[in-house]
Amino acid sequence: MSLKEKLDLYRLNQDEYKMICEKLGREPQGIEWALFSSLWSEHCSYKSSKRHLKKLFREGPRVLESFGENAGVIDLGQGERIAFKMESHNHPSFIEPYQGAATGVGGILRDIFTMGARPLALANYLCFGDLDAPRMTTLVDGVVRGIGGYGNCVGVPTITGQTEFHSSYNGNILVNAFALGYFGKNDGVFLSKAKGIGFDVVYVGAKTGRDGIHGASMASESFEDGDESKRPTVQIGDPFLEKLLIESCIEVMNLGLVDSIQDMGAAGLTSSSFEMASKGQVGLDLELDKVPLRDSTLTPEDILLSESQERMLLICEPQKVDSLKEVFLKWGLDATVIGKVKEERKVSLFWNGDRLAEIDPDILVEEAPEYDRNYDPWDSLNKKEKIQFDSEKINLEELKSYQGSTRSWIYDQYDQRVGANTARDCSGSIGVIQLPESGRALGIVLGCRPHVMRHDAWIGGADAILYPSIELSIKGFEPLAVTDCLNFGNPEQKSVMSEFVASLEGLNLSCQKMKTPIISGNVSFYNESNGDNITSTPSTGLVGLRDSLSYIPADRFQEEGSQIILIECPQVLLSGMRAENKGRDLEFTGELNVQEVSRWCEKLKEMVLKESPLSTRIVGKFGLSYALSRMSMDSVSANCNLNEGEFSGEKLYQVLVEVKKSKSEVWINKMDARVIGETQATGVLVLNKETQFQVSELRKLYKGGLSDVMGAQ
Amino acid sequence: MSRVGVLRFPGTNCDLDVFRAIEDLGHEACWIWYANPFEEREYDSYVIPGGFSFGDYLRAGAMAAQSPAMDSLKKAVKKGAPVIGICNGFQILCEAGLLPGALVRNEKLRFIDRWVELVDQNKEIYSLPIAHGEGRFYIEEDGLKELRDKDQIWLTYKDNPNGSISDIAGIKVNSVSALMPHPERAMKDWMGGTDGRRFFECL
Repeated sequence: MSLKEKLDLYRLNQDEYKMICEKLGREPQGIEWALFSSLWSEHCSYKSSKRHLKKLFREGPRVLESFGENAGVIDLGQGERIAFKMESHNHPSFIEPYQGAATGVGGILRDIFTMGARPLALANYLCFGDLDAPRMTTLVDGVVRGIGGYGNCVGVPTITGQTEFHSSYNGNILVNAFALGYFGKNDGVFLSKAKGIGFDVVYVGAKTGRDGIHGASMASESFEDGDESKRPTVQIGDPFLEKLLIESCIEVMNLGLVDSIQDMGAAGLTSSSFEMASKGQVGLDLELDKVPLRDSTLTPEDILLSESQERMLLICEPQKVDSLKEVFLKWGLDATVIGKVKEERKVSLFWNGDRLAEIDPDILVEEAPEYDRNYDPWDSLNKKEKIQFDSEKINLEELKSYQGSTRSWIYDQYDQRVGANTARDCSGSIGVIQLPESGRALGIVLGCRPHVMRHDAWIGGADAILYPSIELSIKGFEPLAVTDCLNFGNPEQKSVMSEFVASLEGLNLSCQKMKTPIISGNVSFYNESNGDNITSTPSTGLVGLRDSLSYIPADRFQEEGSQIILIECPQVLLSGMRAENKGRDLEFTGELNVQEVSRWCEKLKEMVLKESPLSTRIVGKFGLSYALSRMSMDSVSANCNLNEGEFSGEKLYQVLVEVKKSKSEVWINKMDARVIGETQATGVLVLNKETQFQVSELRKLYKGGLSDVMGAQ
Repeated sequence: MSRVGVLRFPGTNCDLDVFRAIEDLGHEACWIWYANPFEEREYDSYVIPGGFSFGDYLRAGAMAAQSPAMDSLKKAVKKGAPVIGICNGFQILCEAGLLPGALVRNEKLRFIDRWVELVDQNKEIYSLPIAHGEGRFYIEEDGLKELRDKDQIWLTYKDNPNGSISDIAGIKVNSVSALMPHPERAMKDWMGGTDGRRFFECL
């Protein structure tokens, strides 16, 4: 094989090849090619994003673990801690939607229980293309079945999510899975750094098969036609095995039998073993022939790169191995010693006694290349002095579009209550669970609105933190910390990299001002298909805390005769999703002052806790009329009057609050708010007197949309 | 206070929830591991919680029904011990022959999670969540007639979500009762309702 052919096969470039030769002092040989191919892939090494990620706001008094571990951990006080993280599984889900999405859930769950936390909640952030684009309904159906199939069986509730549709995802959908786990007073946090010279390296879980070989480097490439050939790189999940792994791993941790632990995710045994060694500043001897196999014809290279699911690597004192095996046996799982920790900082790989390779783990992990990809300073191209809106009758057509209709067709297929901790499920604006020991409330919400990103990447990045923070605050939750999943196109293109840097700046500034550190996350580049990049989509997951589960404001109007208050922090006006759907230019006017929004957010939270409003809602896509119609879906609707033009566009930021009449004065005085109407139980939503909608009609529209298209599948 | 045995299989995932619900009602909950036979006199009553025992890989509940703990449970049932099976527990009891009929894939072949309204033999109404992919109760006509004649149809859906025959959501045959909805998920106001508490009263 010529050098060029080899570089193509292993997805490395000339410069990287030179770097490898320099570091090794020779050419890479045999299996080393595969090691560099995986660990130096974009997916594993973050080579295009690392220098920007270093600037992220990560510190805070609650942060116990952050980047560098499988998931971030924060302290909730009272002995309770949580671990959470979000991760992308875009490429596999486009190739094989059911297994791609299922293993996305499995992978993110392993990141959580590897830390010693019992998984408590799942959420997912999904972006699909137009439903009439090729394969799209099949993809939606497969992804939803995959998430449900895995999450339901493993027994972790899906409590919230976000689903977006836009043509930019026609050739590259996004599937981002979020998981959160819990540590009670007596639970320890487990880390992945290898320690204990002479300790055993133990392999636990599924046997290694041929699935997912080269998955990490596949995920670092763009899509082109004819990618059916990539199907063997997608992994197959077994949620039942995962459930057994969760229970058995938590049991061996509680018994004090484990010193460090790491799941085998992207790049399988390679990344888990090299990362454990590198972080622990030790070496490992690994006997690849001892790895339990599903297929005896696998070569050492296959074994190293297989991404078979539901596998863990543990480090354990030799005298504890028997007790460890006993626990795993009870759960029907094999535990096999495949190596030892050693002082010399080399990972040595053996095959039937022959040494295949011996490399300093830092060369592969710490010293991976880092690129400063070209980008331009951000310039808001769509910023205008003023935006013009056509004057037209208020209508609520968007309720029946798949952008505006209910996602119940999706979330009805997810178990949202297993664990019996769910207080607010996927039908709510935020998910809420009860913390098992203290009984306090934990709120979870996902963020990033792709249509705002399409207006402006900087504002869109800031909005990915601010919008969900407001959603938490108006339910009385204090936003605590963030995980992010940065989905972008090809970073070698300047326009993509410019959006990456700009949105990250907006996002990071918002985290600083909101005092919500980013504790975990991942980057997914090359979301590109036949040269078209996706909408840059930095999705986020935010977690908030409140002392009590009682009096959390509802999402919909609750009581006839109460007052509807509009509270604004008006800074930016977007032409919005309605304009986009009509094919108009996306424009905006105004400046976003992140500091001011974060102060406003804090004040809103204080007011909600003090005054316990009946219901609250942030005004988002499609603006005020849509928000009012969504609040009117139960038995109580509204009669509101607004100024001309106020139903057009989308303003950052506005919230609607329903309060008892006697309380409206307080809100008006303290929040610079105004009463825009009253609630009524007439079955009619009235906007500016002349526009009236039957609530039963609105409900029908809202229930159609997505389920009319998907229900026919 | 009674001593309630909670059966646990590999893949059971509502085990902790049910355990907590039993304790919450003032009973003593004890684990019974599927692989170990047990003495009937150790427990007053039993619950088989929901989940995906053995991954539901053959048929929901089929593998679990063949386990040593289930053999012991059959002996306990002969002596009249109260048993409740919830969701996967219902499926296991049918597979074990302790209840008639079978639970098959939902009519629309999709998993369903939602709150439903139920009616019992006394026309009382309950609101509980369901979460199942194989919750459609089926039984041959003569079996259905027997259930009716003996007044063993315990719960029916007001608005049938899964295509169950005669809207059946739960049945009760002598001391063995089972239902597809999850009472342990309706124990507190913040869960969305407290009707579930009444389902553990017979323990």
